Amino acid sequence: MPDVIDVILRCVLVLAVFMVLPLVIGQMEHKAMAHMQSRVGPMAAGGFHGWAQLVADGVKFVQKESITPVAADRRVFELAPAVALAPYLVALLAIPLGPFFGQGNLIGQDLDLGLFFVLAAMSVGVLGTLMGGLGSGNKYSYIGGMRVAAQLMSYELPMVLAAASVAMAAGTLSLVGIAQEWEPWWLITQLPGLIVFFIAGLAELQRPPFDAPLADAELVMGPLTEYGGMRFAMFLLAEYAGILVLSALTTVLFLGGWAGPFSDHIGWLWTLVKVMAVAFLVIWARVAYPRLREDQVNALAWKVLVPVALAQITLTTVLVVA
Amino acid sequence: MSATEVVFLLFAALAVGSALLAMTTSQLVHSALWLVVTLGAVAGCFVLMTAEFVAWVQVLVYVGSVVVLVIFALMLTRQQSTISAEVTGNRWTAAVLGLVAAVGLGATVVSGFHGERIEGRRIGTARSLGDALFNDWVLPFEILSGVLLAALVGAIVISRSGTER
Amino acid sequence: MTYGKGLLQGLKVTFKNLTRRSVTAHYPDVQPDLPPRSRGVIALQEENCTSCMLCARECPSWCITIDSHKETIPATTEGGRDRSQNVLDTFDIDYSLCMYCTICIEVCPFDALHWSPEFAYAEGDIVDLTHDMNRLREWMWTVPAPQALDPGAEPSKELAAYEAAAEDPE
Repeated sequence: MPDVIDVILRCVLVLAVFMVLPLVIGQMEHKAMAHMQSRVGPMAAGGFHGWAQLVADGVKFVQKESITPVAADRRVFELAPAVALAPYLVALLAIPLGPFFGQGNLIGQDLDLGLFFVLAAMSVGVLGTLMGGLGSGNKYSYIGGMRVAAQLMSYELPMVLAAASVAMAAGTLSLVGIAQEWEPWWLITQLPGLIVFFIAGLAELQRPPFDAPLADAELVMGPLTEYGGMRFAMFLLAEYAGILVLSALTTVLFLGGWAGPFSDHIGWLWTLVKVMAVAFLVIWARVAYPRLREDQVNALAWKVLVPVALAQITLTTVLVVA
Repeated sequence: MSATEVVFLLFAALAVGSALLAMTTSQLVHSALWLVVTLGAVAGCFVLMTAEFVAWVQVLVYVGSVVVLVIFALMLTRQQSTISAEVTGNRWTAAVLGLVAAVGLGATVVSGFHGERIEGRRIGTARSLGDALFNDWVLPFEILSGVLLAALVGAIVISRSGTER
Repeated sequence: MTYGKGLLQGLKVTFKNLTRRSVTAHYPDVQPDLPPRSRGVIALQEENCTSCMLCARECPSWCITIDSHKETIPATTEGGRDRSQNVLDTFDIDYSLCMYCTICIEVCPFDALHWSPEFAYAEGDIVDLTHDMNRLREWMWTVPAPQALDPGAEPSKELAAYEAAAEDPE
């Protein structure tokens, strides 16, 4: 019976993290981006510096009408937001948060192959945007969908290669195992891998500067053009959940997860701090850099990231074998 | 019949059913998406057979890349989303070839693993797969990678010949 | 390596902005601090107006409507002449037409029109944007004192002319 309670408790915790942290990241994006652009961002909702802005947005989205265009492929169109959102929840199940006051590791389920599980879930998540592009019956969505597909094909490879490099160095595919094996000098030897993984992750999530598929100035909103109300809100939540998963994965793989002073007790806090720092970097990149052109997006993947990732793997191999 | 077997049968039925739908649906995009369901169900079967590594790689590579590639090719080549049910001469050849392949593969699997049970053993971990691949089957593995390399070189040659003209 | 330099510069500029205080005016919570010459709304000092119609005629958008009648003031001294005076009946400014060009205020020979920095007089109905004489008079209470001259600046021309006239009684 305690097992059942344990499982339920873990699921509830993961669900809570899934509901709260993306909103925190979203709010951070609102405020950090605003201040970087010499604005103040939302100020009214909730009273103190607009902390409840995303909650207010959610309430607004719920009230809106759900419209399915006549030209849309109905089932594909309606299923796409769920396909975009659900995999990130599944991925969070396997990401460790670290030791919690000496009570063992905070994690939904410690899998032997956690790394591949999370990567697989992320690759399913992006199918949602693709389905939105195909099913909307809108030419902007269609072009956006094509760009999503091209971008996914290009960036899947360097991302997996960079992740594989860490797995090789740690000698395990378990995320808990990788974080435990982590040593500070990996920050230097795995630095190219870290950069490749982070950039490829940004591109996989279609975050600016890799948002050529959405490109509101030329494609309206790409695959999301026809969406409104709750379905659009789900896509929006999926974007922030994607940032959360990417940040958490980067933290666990490359930044040592809960490594830090007193990590036996407040390891989970270290993980959260690092996740938020990486999420801040995601937002920072959005503000600092203009959108890459479609050919630049693919050229960057194949001409820079893939060779760097391969070189990283070679380096790791040499270090592991030597 | 254990719970695992029931779930396995459900996944298997899902795989077969969605594969049939992928073949029979009149919309190319739908058949690509049904293929996603098929591959996911097969991955589920792999998990139940304790081959988690194969399962996740199946999702990562086939759902995340191969299906995306298929959809990309669809989007580039065909503007109309529905195809008329045209029967070409190749159809029957394809059916025969598919049947032969299915019977051949099925016979190989049945004769190779007839009566074996997984129960309690973890045969599909990354470690055991790696051992099997790089100890027992290293030659086929290398030959396969040679085939892939040839395909890669071929693709580069074809794509470059257009620009030099 | 100009490539990487630009990338770093982008990060630097945005981060510097993040650490600075934003210059956003928090308008509804904090009232703006407007200079005395702000063109908010035109106020009418009704007592100064002689109904000379200059403002109405010069207005490029014809948004001023003036109507007046003559009244006779009896002579104050014995055998003196009665004086006549124009009294305003109507002085309307239609702010849905006004383009805030200041020409009416410039041309007024008797300083009957003034700028007030009040700007919050939006209305739900366009008809209510026509302010009548009484409403325009009320705006007078919000007209600030004229802007002080810069230290060391030469005194205004009007004052110089007045003093010159006082010195030299012809």
